[in-house]
Amino acid sequence: MKKGEKGRMMWGWIYAAAFVTAFTASAVLKLFCNPLAKKYAVTWNDDMGNIYTDLPYGEGEANKFDLYVPADNSRKSYGLVVYLHAGGFTSGDKSDDADMLKRFCSMGYVAAGINYTLFGADHPQANIYTQSQEIKASIPAVKKEAEKLGYPLERMAISGGSAGGCLALLYAYRDADTSPIPVKMVFEMVGPASFHHEDWAPYGLDRSPEAAAKLFSVMSGRTITEEMIRENDYDEEVRDISAYMWVDKNSVPTLCAYGAYDKVCPFGSAKHLINALEQNQVPHDYIEFPHSGHGLQNDNRMFAVYMEKLNAYLERYMGVGEYR
Amino acid sequence: MTQKRGIILILVIILGAVLGRLAVRAAMNFLLGGSLFGGNFL
Repeated sequence: MKKGEKGRMMWGWIYAAAFVTAFTASAVLKLFCNPLAKKYAVTWNDDMGNIYTDLPYGEGEANKFDLYVPADNSRKSYGLVVYLHAGGFTSGDKSDDADMLKRFCSMGYVAAGINYTLFGADHPQANIYTQSQEIKASIPAVKKEAEKLGYPLERMAISGGSAGGCLALLYAYRDADTSPIPVKMVFEMVGPASFHHEDWAPYGLDRSPEAAAKLFSVMSGRTITEEMIRENDYDEEVRDISAYMWVDKNSVPTLCAYGAYDKVCPFGSAKHLINALEQNQVPHDYIEFPHSGHGLQNDNRMFAVYMEKLNAYLERYMGVGEYR
Repeated sequence: MTQKRGIILILVIILGAVLGRLAVRAAMNFLLGGSLFGGNFL
């Protein structure tokens, strides 16, 4: 091999190695480094508060919650922020949201992460309705436990992401009237709030009444037939799991966010919630992430807007300044 | 190293970095939905 050829070959290898290294490094950075994570993270230490984990609220194995209480226990009353975990109603755990719960606690709120029985081989009867009933059953236990620790709860915000968002909306609109703690606001991201087969095109439900009947039956715990799907006659069957159907003029202020390309919680399903909030003149902010899907992963600028709105909502409806 | 090779090396590194981020974004979009361009830089 001539000297010139040898040099070209060596440089070819250098270019290839440089490309692979740059490709891998940038992919890893993209995957694991979120430029916004630091901005909203809290460096937790014991001076900020205490964490009590796996407190029971029912007989079920999953009926447990974690409670984050601020160090200052001298106030007469506290606001509670509940955050319900994501996971498609089939997976996830309250510990997934520990950073967020710590953040709320650092702001002076009592924060709670609540588990619910997940649908799966072990619990084939679990569905969105039973999960929402478990959340409903958990709030009195959260209140009781917080009071026992010296934190009387006077008001609450409920929130969640994806499946947790769905359950948060249900509690806020359907169950708030019977809540032992007055519900002041709800905030959530990408939680399904309606179940109309024509909106669930990414799952093919708009084209397959059979698939729609099966999926909505599993989700609702009610019997929905293909015939009912074809005739569009199943509103009553999905009412207990469709948060938007419970929105009225007295519904609590709502902050919600959806991704325009979402195919997990189909974007089309969000419009019913937004319309219901508008028609009933419920104070709300709807933040659309125009380039993102279910992870709201491509619009950091909109995420910052959401977080600013959230701070404003908390201050307005949960009285951050008032209670700090 | 000639200046030409240095420039090519820098361009290759930039191309690798851009494609690496785009590949992750494309994979995430495939799983969750999303557009390949717009919003966040890459």
